[in-house]
Order: sequence, then structure tokens, then C-alpha cells
Amino acid sequence: MLDPSAARSGDTEFARLDRRSFLKSGLGGTLFLATVSTTAGLSGCATAPAGQLDAVDTQMKTSYQFRFLTRDDIELFEALLPAMFGPALPEQPQARRLAVAGTIERIDAGIENFGPANQQELRRLFDLLTFGFTRVTIARVWSRWPNVSTTDANAFLERWRTSGIGLFNNGYIALTKISNVAFYGGHDQWHLSGYPGPPQWAVDALPQFKTA
Amino acid sequence: MSLTDRIARGLEAGWKVTDATTLTDHQTHEADVIVIGTGAGGGTTAEILAKNGLSVILVEEGRLYYQKDFTMDEHSAYASLYQEGMSRTTQDGAIAILQGRCVGGSTTVNWTSSFRTPDQTLTYWADNFGLDNLSPEAMAPWFEGREQRHTVAPWQTPPNVNNDILRQGCEQLGYSWQTIPRNVKGCWNLGYCGVGCPTNAKQGALMTTIPGALDHQARLFHGLRAERLVMDQDRIDHLQASAMGADGITPSGVTVTLKARHFVVAASAIGSPGLLLRSDIPDPHARVGKRSFIHPVNATIAQMPEKVDPFYGAPQSIYSDEFNFKNGVDGPAGFKLEVPPLHPGMSAGVIPGHGPEQIDAMAGLPWTQSVIALMRDGFHPESPGGTVTLRDDGSPVLDYPITDYLWHGLKQAYLTMAEIQFAAGASKVRLVHLDSNWYTSWGEARAAINSIAMEPHRVRLFTAHQMGGCSMGQDPQTSVVNGFGEHHQVSNLSVHDASVFPTSIGANPQLSIYALAARNSARLAAKLTS
Ligand SMILES: Cc1cc2nc3c(=O)[nH]c(=O)nc-3n(C[C@H](O)[C@H](O)[C@H](O)COP(=O)(O)OP(=O)(O)OC[C@H]3O[C@@H](n4cnc5c(N)ncnc54)[C@H](O)[C@@H]3O)c2cc1C
Repeated sequence: MLDPSAARSGDTEFARLDRRSFLKSGLGGTLFLATVSTTAGLSGCATAPAGQLDAVDTQMKTSYQFRFLTRDDIELFEALLPAMFGPALPEQPQARRLAVAGTIERIDAGIENFGPANQQELRRLFDLLTFGFTRVTIARVWSRWPNVSTTDANAFLERWRTSGIGLFNNGYIALTKISNVAFYGGHDQWHLSGYPGPPQWAVDALPQFKTA
Repeated sequence: MSLTDRIARGLEAGWKVTDATTLTDHQTHEADVIVIGTGAGGGTTAEILAKNGLSVILVEEGRLYYQKDFTMDEHSAYASLYQEGMSRTTQDGAIAILQGRCVGGSTTVNWTSSFRTPDQTLTYWADNFGLDNLSPEAMAPWFEGREQRHTVAPWQTPPNVNNDILRQGCEQLGYSWQTIPRNVKGCWNLGYCGVGCPTNAKQGALMTTIPGALDHQARLFHGLRAERLVMDQDRIDHLQASAMGADGITPSGVTVTLKARHFVVAASAIGSPGLLLRSDIPDPHARVGKRSFIHPVNATIAQMPEKVDPFYGAPQSIYSDEFNFKNGVDGPAGFKLEVPPLHPGMSAGVIPGHGPEQIDAMAGLPWTQSVIALMRDGFHPESPGGTVTLRDDGSPVLDYPITDYLWHGLKQAYLTMAEIQFAAGASKVRLVHLDSNWYTSWGEARAAINSIAMEPHRVRLFTAHQMGGCSMGQDPQTSVVNGFGEHHQVSNLSVHDASVFPTSIGANPQLSIYALAARNSARLAAKLTS
């Protein structure tokens, strides 16, 4: 997964820069992320959409075809979602896995409609977080995502939320926003927000709900 | 679908509607007028021109969705009906942009508030941009005409609790409030305006002017993106358009060439300046894309002792203009106070946070109330607006810096909104801000607001009101079109949408767009038929 030589060459390149001031400017941030995604791509990280995953590769055994998220991205969300929704997820392990998997599928389905420009931004963000060198230096997450504890995932989210660097706040918002919408907007989670769904009397009366 | 649905009936009756995602061959079509965009401005224009006997082709990059598709479901609606699948933001990501991308444009998903352009705004335009013939008196008949066409009337039903709390808070504090006029007919008071009206009650472009145009032989291509207006000498010769692929987002490779005598751009703020920039339309003073306004919106949320159920009932029915023009048109930033509907997906996306706190906040949704403030931008030298430019792939993007002038207004708005919510009996209030806690008293909230960071990304900002970017004015040095939406340099090009406004409106913009487009289309029809 990680090509050490790519990471090392990246290291010397980035070491010359004053990282903090560099990241402060939006343009610097964009250039930086662009460099990261190129480096990550060259280093052979999983940049292809994960497609249909089978039970061997993942906890998720479904028929869903991933069209944007890579296997690395999926691992990232498998680590982050328990920090975002832990106490709201079902306790029973299989139900819990299904809730996480379903949310990640809806994240992927949502991103499909974002259009090329925003997809590219997200690709940069996900590459930054899944590429070993930047995961450590920028996100300050020491292990690969499958080995990151919920406490550490929460600490990472908290660092980016409270950071004085707009780019990190922006990354925090992007990660939580797509996850939150995918999670709470899903029928299976409506009860968590006390949302009863569309009024039943209207559903009963409207032609679009009649299955003829 | 039941044949009481206006669109289903029309399609059955043989409307000329082409789903461009099904096209397999390059093709060319011709009409008197090509109208690009089918929202507030485009729909109005198409109907008026078609009723005057002109042949019209409507071009819409989004898809045709109607009653059968409107199932009160957030996920499917955000994916299909909104620009960039609801992920559109300003260039730096600091402001979320809500905008429609479907037949009917933003009017298919809007919340139905229907205000005339405030007199102060029209007067300011006359004084500052030479737009004398847009005076309140001159515009009154156009507003009246559009109010009839879109069935606009003050909402008769009692407001839902979400809106009523704004009323109660204002009443307690002696602030003015009023009932919102809405464009609905036989509204079921459900609360799902933002995901496509499931009952056909909303009288937006989809239920009024688009069917009106199609009944009069207009042709509609949906899933077709206007790429480039191509000039021949000093006139536009044709529009080059790309059919979308099956996903509705990426071009299939099939191109459609549309020729006409006249071209009306109505792809809205961001879309219209984007198209003009892509087309290299003459712009000697580099005005295209400048002066883009958004009514920057901030919000507070409150926990109420009683159930609010903010996902049900007409989303907007009460407003307060107490602070809109209080300090003069071009004094410190004024704002309009309204209420947003809160469905679970949207709320979870908007209320920043994660972990147990976020889970608790979401669990409190049935008791949650929210107030939003819409900053009136563009009336002050320190509120020059943003700029639309093109990304590498040719898609438009808005850069919108928040000036100190606006931060000041946003802070005042936080203070006012929290004060109103406590006055209405809130048990606690928090700001939609990355650093905000819940505050349990007005005193505590006031102290926190006075010291909280007013910075991009930390203050969560939104807009559903994009305006400007092809601004109108008498002087070609400072504007793109004249007061009739006619391009200063290109004689067979007009712009009929929110992009022509030289400042923000200071009220929700749809009726301003309908009225101006109607006025300008009547003039265009007369010109083209004479
Ligand atoms: C969620 C929401 C709530 C709102 N609530 C209210 C409200 O209560 N009251 C109010 O007054 N206003 C409201 N608004 C705003 C209002 O709907 C808009 O201001 C208005 O519809 C803008 O009209 P328009 O003609 O400029 O553009 P739109 O109505 O947005 O139409 C523009 C159309 O052009 C299409 N287009 C763009 N680029 C291209 C291209 N290259 N080729 C082909 N087609 C293209 C778009 O897909 C879109 O369908 C709301 C908006 C939103 C998003």
C-alpha cells in the first residue's frame, strides 16, 4: 500500500516549507493537497473506486457498487463513523456493521452527484487522510485507519474542528457534513432525531406512493 | 401518474419535451429564441414569448422531475434537484450554496416566500445605477401581474410552531413581524417544499410558466447543458450544448447546436456569468462575474419547552424586517429575519459537530427551533460582493470574501436571534458556529457572542439567494446589461434572471425575478414580433 520511497521524497519536499503558514493560505492549501494526491496516486495507493466489495475484503457484504470511494476511503470512514455516531449505532455487532456499511454506501451515492470539481476536492482530502505520510504529519494520526481507535478518531476530529487553520476546519466540515447527511437522512436512522417521516395521511392520499 | 398532474397530462398530450440523455446523434435545431435555464427567469420568459407566437426552445441542464418523483425524501431530492448534489459551496468552502438544478430551477425546491422588491432597494438602484424606470410605481403592475400568475397571497393558515416562535419573540421585544405571502394553491401545509412539492400546490415555474410555454408549442430539452454561445461578428449565431449522460452529470459526448434570432440567458447567478465567461462574450470593462451577492445567512438554534416539529408545516410564514433597513439603505449591514425548515438530514448537515453532543442535539430535533438572518449585501462600499470565475474544467465557481462590514452585521444578527429565542421561552440557544456551546440564558449568550471568533469556516454560513454577476445598469463601464436585461455589447442577447440585480434584493428574490423577467420579456416579444 505505502511506497516508502514516495513517502521519503515527499518528506524532503515538504520539510523545506513552513507548513503552518503554507496551509494558512487557501491557494497553498489547494496546491498542497494537489501535490499530495499526485504523490499518493503515484505511490500506488488504491485510487480506483472500490466497486463491489466482497466479504473477504471488508466487513461489508452487500451488492452495492462503489463508484467513488476507494478501499482506503472506506477504511477511513469505518474508523471515523464510530467516533461520529458511536452511541447512536446499534450495539449488536452485526447490526452495527450494517449501519456503518449502509452509511458509507449512502456517502458514496451522495458524492456521485457532487460533480467533477467537488469530487476532485474530496479526492484530495481523502488522499491526504489515507496517504501515510500526510496522515501522520497533517492529521497526526499515527496508525493506519483500520487500527485507529474510536478515541483517537475522535481526537483527530476534535483537532480539526478546533484548529485555527481554516483548511482543517473545512476538512472537518466536509467529513462530518457528508457523514451526517448520509446517516441522519436515512430511513433507518430517522428515529434518532425523533422524525416520524412524512405524514402518513399524506402518503396514503398521494398518487406517487400508490403501488399499482 | 394521475392525470391531474399538470406535467403528466402535458406529456400525454404531446408536449415537445426531449430528454437529452437519450440522444445518440449530434443535431441542430432552430427557433426564434433560445432560453437557457428554466427557473424563475427562464420559465417566465419562455411563456411570454411563446404566448406571443414566437418559437421558443428551452434548455435545462438538470432533469425534468415532477409529482411522481417528489416523495418527500431528502436523499433522493438533494441528489437530483440541487446543484452539485447539494455540495455547492463558495471557492474556499466557507459558505454552503443551495441552488436548484432541474426543470423549474430553484423554484422547484424553494420555500415559497414571495416578496416584492423593497421600495428602498428600487430607489437605491435608481439613484446609484441609473435604473430610474424601475421605480416602485413603475414596477407595481408587474408585481401585481406575477402575484396573480403565481397565486401569491399572505398565508392564511396559522404558522407552524417554528415560525410562531419568531412571532412570539418579536412580540415580546416589541420588534415588528409580519405574515409571509406564499405562492401556493391548495397547499396541504406539509412542510416538504425543499424536496419538491409532493401535491403540486407550489406555484413555481414547474406548475405555471413551463406548462404555459409548452402548451404554446415551446420545445424543452432537459439534461442538456449550455456550453458556449458562439458569435458571428457582433451577434450570437448559435448555442453549443452538451447532452448529459445517463447519470445526468457527465456529458455523453452528444452535442446539440441551437440556432436562433435571439438568446436569453437565464441560468441564474453563478450559471449565467459562467456561460458568458466560457463564451468569451464581449466584456470590454471586465464586468461579467463581478458584484455577485448572496444574502449571507447565519443561524441560531433553540431548544424549546414545547414540541416544535420543525419538519412539518409551511416552512416560512412569519418574518421580521425590524432590522432590515433600520440604519438606512447603506448604513451598517441590515438583515431580514426568517425561519428555516429542519428535516433530519439537512439539520445534521447544517448543525456542525460530531459525537455525543451532536447525537443529543439531533435527538432534540422535535423541540428545536431555528432563526436565520439574511444579510442585505451590496449596498455599501465595504460590501462589493463576490466574483464568479471558471475552474479548469469550465464550471463556474463563486469566490465570496466576508468583509468586516458583513462580520459586524452577522454578529448583530446572532445577538438579535438569540435574544428573540430566549424572549420566546427557549430553554437554551446555540449558534450555528464551530465553537458554540448551548447557552442557557440571554446574558450568557450575549457574552459568548461578543467574544466568539467571527471567522470564515468557524461561523457556518449559507445562501439560497444568489444574485448578480451580470449586473444591470445604465453605464456599460459598470454593468453587463441595461435596465431591460439587454446586453450592452451584443444586440441579440438578453439576461433574465437573478444575475442582473446590481445589489442583493433585501428580500427573498423569486418575485423580483418573475416581475423583472415578465417586464423585459414583454418588451422583447414586442421587438421580435414587430
Ligand atoms: C432551498 C431554496 C429555498 C429558497 N426559498 C426561497 C423563497 O422562499 N422565496 C424566494 O423568493 N426565493 C427562494 N429561493 C431562491 C429562488 O428560488 C431563486 O432566487 C430563484 O429561483 C432564482 O431564479 P433564476 O431564474 O435566477 O434561477 P433558477 O430558478 O435557479 O434557474 C436557473 C436554472 O438554470 C439552469 N442552468 C444553469 N446553468 C445552466 C447551463 N449551463 N445550461 C442549462 N441550464 C443551466 C439551472 O439548472 C437552473 O435550473 C430559494 C432557493 C433555494 C435553493
